Amino acid sequence: MYDFTYRRPADLAEARAILAGDEGAQPLSGGQTLIPVLRARLAMPAVLVDLTALDELKGIAAEGGRILIPAATTHAEVAASGTVREHCRALAALAGGIGDPQVRHRGTIGGSVANNDPAACYPSACLALDAEIRTDRRRIAAPDFFSGMFQTVLEPGEIVTAVSFPACRGAHYEKFPNPASRFALIAVFAARLAGETRLAVTGGGTGVFRWHEGERAADGNGDLSEAALDEGRFTGDLHASVEYRMHLTRVMAQRALAKIH
Amino acid sequence: MEIKGSYLLPCTPQRAWEALNDPELLKSCLKGCERLEKTADDRFEGTVQARVGPVSARFNGSLTQTDVEAPHRCTMVFEGQGGVAGFAKGSADVTLDEAEGGTRLSYDADAKIGGKLAQMGARLVEGTARSMAEDFFGAFSAALAAERADTNAAASPAPEAATPANAPEVVPASSAAEAKSGPGRAWLVGLAVLAVVLIILWLA
Amino acid sequence: MNLTASRVKFGQSVKRQEDGRFLRGKGRYVDDMILPGQLYAAFVRSPMAHARITGIDADHAASMPGVERVLTARDLVAAGLPPLPCGWAITSRDGTPMKVGVRHALALDKVRYVGEPVALVVARTQAQAKDAAEAVIVDYDDLPAMVDVLDAMAEGAGLIHDEIDANCAFDWEIGDAAATEAAFAGAAHRIALTLRNNRLVPNAIEPRAINAGWDGSSEELTVYMTHQNPIGMRMFYAAAFGLAAEHKLRMVSPDVGGGFGSKAHNYPEEVAVTFAAKLVDGPVKWTADRSEAFLTDAHGRDHLTDVELALDGQGRFLALRVDTRANVGAYLSSSGSLVPTYMYATMLSGQYAIPAIHARVRAIYSSTCPVDAYRGAGRPEAAYVIERIVDVAARELGINPAEIRRRNFIREFPYQTPVVYQYDSGDYEKSLDAALELAHYAGFAGRRAESERHGKLRGIGLAAYVEACGIGPSAKLAKLGSGAGMWESAEVRVHPIGTVEVLTGAHSHGQGHATTFAQVVSDRFGIPIENVSVIQGDTARVQAGTGTYGSRASVGMSATLRACDRIIDKGKRIAAHLMGVDYDAVEFDDGLFSSKDSNVTIAFAEMAYAAHAAASFPTDEIEPGLVATSFFDPPEFTYPAGVYVCEVEIDPDTGTVEVASFCAADDFGNVANPMIVEGQVHGGVTQGIGQALWENALYDADTGQLMSASFMDYGMPRAQGVPDYKLVFSGVPSPSNPLGMKGCGEAGAIGAPPAIINAVCNALDVRHVDMPATPEKIWRLCRQGKAG
Repeated sequence: MYDFTYRRPADLAEARAILAGDEGAQPLSGGQTLIPVLRARLAMPAVLVDLTALDELKGIAAEGGRILIPAATTHAEVAASGTVREHCRALAALAGGIGDPQVRHRGTIGGSVANNDPAACYPSACLALDAEIRTDRRRIAAPDFFSGMFQTVLEPGEIVTAVSFPACRGAHYEKFPNPASRFALIAVFAARLAGETRLAVTGGGTGVFRWHEGERAADGNGDLSEAALDEGRFTGDLHASVEYRMHLTRVMAQRALAKIH
Repeated sequence: MEIKGSYLLPCTPQRAWEALNDPELLKSCLKGCERLEKTADDRFEGTVQARVGPVSARFNGSLTQTDVEAPHRCTMVFEGQGGVAGFAKGSADVTLDEAEGGTRLSYDADAKIGGKLAQMGARLVEGTARSMAEDFFGAFSAALAAERADTNAAASPAPEAATPANAPEVVPASSAAEAKSGPGRAWLVGLAVLAVVLIILWLA
Repeated sequence: MNLTASRVKFGQSVKRQEDGRFLRGKGRYVDDMILPGQLYAAFVRSPMAHARITGIDADHAASMPGVERVLTARDLVAAGLPPLPCGWAITSRDGTPMKVGVRHALALDKVRYVGEPVALVVARTQAQAKDAAEAVIVDYDDLPAMVDVLDAMAEGAGLIHDEIDANCAFDWEIGDAAATEAAFAGAAHRIALTLRNNRLVPNAIEPRAINAGWDGSSEELTVYMTHQNPIGMRMFYAAAFGLAAEHKLRMVSPDVGGGFGSKAHNYPEEVAVTFAAKLVDGPVKWTADRSEAFLTDAHGRDHLTDVELALDGQGRFLALRVDTRANVGAYLSSSGSLVPTYMYATMLSGQYAIPAIHARVRAIYSSTCPVDAYRGAGRPEAAYVIERIVDVAARELGINPAEIRRRNFIREFPYQTPVVYQYDSGDYEKSLDAALELAHYAGFAGRRAESERHGKLRGIGLAAYVEACGIGPSAKLAKLGSGAGMWESAEVRVHPIGTVEVLTGAHSHGQGHATTFAQVVSDRFGIPIENVSVIQGDTARVQAGTGTYGSRASVGMSATLRACDRIIDKGKRIAAHLMGVDYDAVEFDDGLFSSKDSNVTIAFAEMAYAAHAAASFPTDEIEPGLVATSFFDPPEFTYPAGVYVCEVEIDPDTGTVEVASFCAADDFGNVANPMIVEGQVHGGVTQGIGQALWENALYDADTGQLMSASFMDYGMPRAQGVPDYKLVFSGVPSPSNPLGMKGCGEAGAIGAPPAIINAVCNALDVRHVDMPATPEKIWRLCRQGKAG
């Protein structure tokens, strides 16, 4: 780890001010990815701005048929939330399956979506459910928010404040975990929204994406085995080849659908 | 690790070749590039502040062209040091072929990566290489397209933006043994590779 | 102190005495120690797998803030620091001694694996040391990496050590080649198989750590090191490296957070840090980070083996022929030559009467981390070879896997195998029957049908293992090449008020010695276990011992028992005076000295007081005090054995292997504490499942980089991936020590891998699958099965 200054702002305004005033400042929201990176000396931010103590970023709420999950909510809190379970059980289950108990008690939804790891769980739920990502300056629809592996449209200093999901009881998250890391080797979030099937895939390697051909097949004869799948979405690594990941995508999607129909 | 790809550029091979040897243009297309200099006829040196997610590392790299057949092909030999993050070295063959709608740029790079990048970023190597290649060629084609739009004011319809004719294809390290490219296919060119290279340098 | 607390018995499931402080975060590890004037070390490590060092520029680094010193190999060599020794001499079959590649504590002219230390920076803070280490510039001339034995053995391959031909450290054999050949010539069946035993990373929770410094006041070199054998390390540091005279060297291993063998070795980093501490005259601390642990803690296994089994028409084994190429890594580590020879090939008889065995083992250098003992150390490799070939034989001859084993079991003990060992005791059929019953073996067909109804493939697998533990008989070990005796010592000190300290060279790093050694004392003396302290790991307190590894705590516990008996004997002599009876008439039972010739009884604590008061017996005949020491050198090894039955359920659509059930029937002889032993089996089996299904130290063939160098990519087993284990101990006491114990620490890691792979092969109806049986590998086999 290189030396850095740790800041724990009292409110969002102060956090914004620190981030705006220092190009080397970086938000810290649970640190389940960032801290290991710092320990490996693979990044050297001058200032870390800890967002997890901000009251403005806490407190799950239901509002007008939607669930609002503030950014500093931990995965464990989402998993245990009665509100989330009532309105979208699949989302609570997803949160309860992230990493391990240590990760779930530190990692936050804001950190996860802002990091947009290509194998993270939350981005698939955001995409499948048409979540809205709220920041300190705007509201962004999920499809516009995630722009590539580890990439989002967040501007420098912009802070994710909450993620808003529609209530959706017809949803299921089916994950094939990487045996080592428990990230998704492939996972599919399936949802029925406004009478249509949505399938969002994570773990492919290049970033979360909607599988539109799979969705059409699901709404057609329901058989995904022949639905077109873009090979360009997938990469191989020491755990899984492209071919295997594509196969798992079909299997996970089919299984997820079976659980919501 | 082998990384291959090909892109359709909206210009002639000659123009693509020039662009690939234009440090300023390249620099503007390569995200995080802080410095790129042509230090000899056949050599570039540069610094890239590369970022992937929370990881950030500064790479100093050099690139030497061999077997140059302007404006058609060359081989680039590259080497980059990222300090604690690790190193990358290897070579890439680049070709420019006339094609319908412009010039097809193809590259085929064989890279060796070492240090923490290789040890801790195994799952991200391929995706990162691909995404950086796409970013670079996207920007590069867009720059060439903008140039053509300028010169051809009202002429033909706006050229399509960079078309990844083939998504870059990466042969992961674990299967590198059988996929290693033979030394026989010595071609090529351009600095495009530089991108690919810096890409590779980057990784994870 | 609670003097009315519990008296416990040997064999009772006493709760672990040490867990309270661990659970409260009161454990004390090397990294917790901060000494006055503390300095910190950081290593410059090779990012290359194989390269010549053409230059090291440390000028800038040496001038950075806080930097005290930058050391390279040249400094060590100039000061006369010798290279690291390999502790076990092996002779090749042509009579030549093994060829040991020179290993300096810092790489001298070449680097030979990724992560090899090249330079050492000492600075005032850890961050300053790391900053300066980053600023040391090392120039390398790249050489080809060779990570696989076949690459390193290939015609024309480069040399890891320029002076060692063909990268071969030794080409060794054991057994009777001619008899084996003759048996094969006349055999009705010959079954052959080629298999790999995958390379593993040990991954103790606590990484390696050292804090070394010269103490000017005591004129001692004090070294705090997380290690399984601190007393042995003191001897090494004194005798092999001359870092200090043995009586001026204090070695302390406080709490140690797991070892699995990886902390029994002598590593270059620790030697370099100790050398640096003397040079800068201040305490220097180094704690490995997890990346360093992955890259440089001696790895385990990595064998490529051709095995052939000859059988007669009735499925009886006639002969076994084995040809193993052991990848020993870049250098021969401390026991790097022992593990693939006398820890491995000597176990190839398994539980079976095999008239002829011949094994050839070639130890091959490669550009990888050195390989050394890791939980089981050679014995898991042997069990895997024999239990896989036996299973393949059963499959190809159409004999039930349990039946073919039963037909070939050794039934008479002691049994002399054709490969050195003489098994002392056992009842293999009893363990087999117990395991089959525990597993409801007869009901498997029904469970398989049930799995099929859910679209799953179910398989059952057996493995019968035997291992040699309790090392060891020193004279026998010397004949096999050992340079050191492997007895164990215990000193039992009884205080005037009757509390007891046991000082032993055995060293617990998770095994629970504070409980089990105290149980021996509590049971023998009839005193509460709370009144017994077990002291270990500090040469200022415990002077003699050889450490804990290879499931050998029975040796230290036997020494403890003998020391207790010497105390009791002295107590009886004192009691004879106190009671006015003959020595022969004094008895000691349940904490009381008594005699049929007297109505006086003396409690143990009273005796302790009397021994120190020294007022009631003639001190010219009996010296005061109540202290006894024992050095126990066992007459033989012990031979734990067992049978494991495992069921797996495979999802053919994803290739996932789920361990549906795991049953273990182990013969550990007498068991000190069943609860602790169960924990040892749970841990061992879990590590075995990890090896079979997930763990793999994967080097890139082209670059020699370790690809699975973090927990993101290295598949450590997790609690959720393993079933509730069903265990039964079917013990036959060992005649090789007074407690009848055999050892239990490694069994699970030895027996589990073949049980799992046998079950996977059974489920898929295939001949063989190499470990780890990853989902993609299994999915491809399922798909082939469907297609073909």
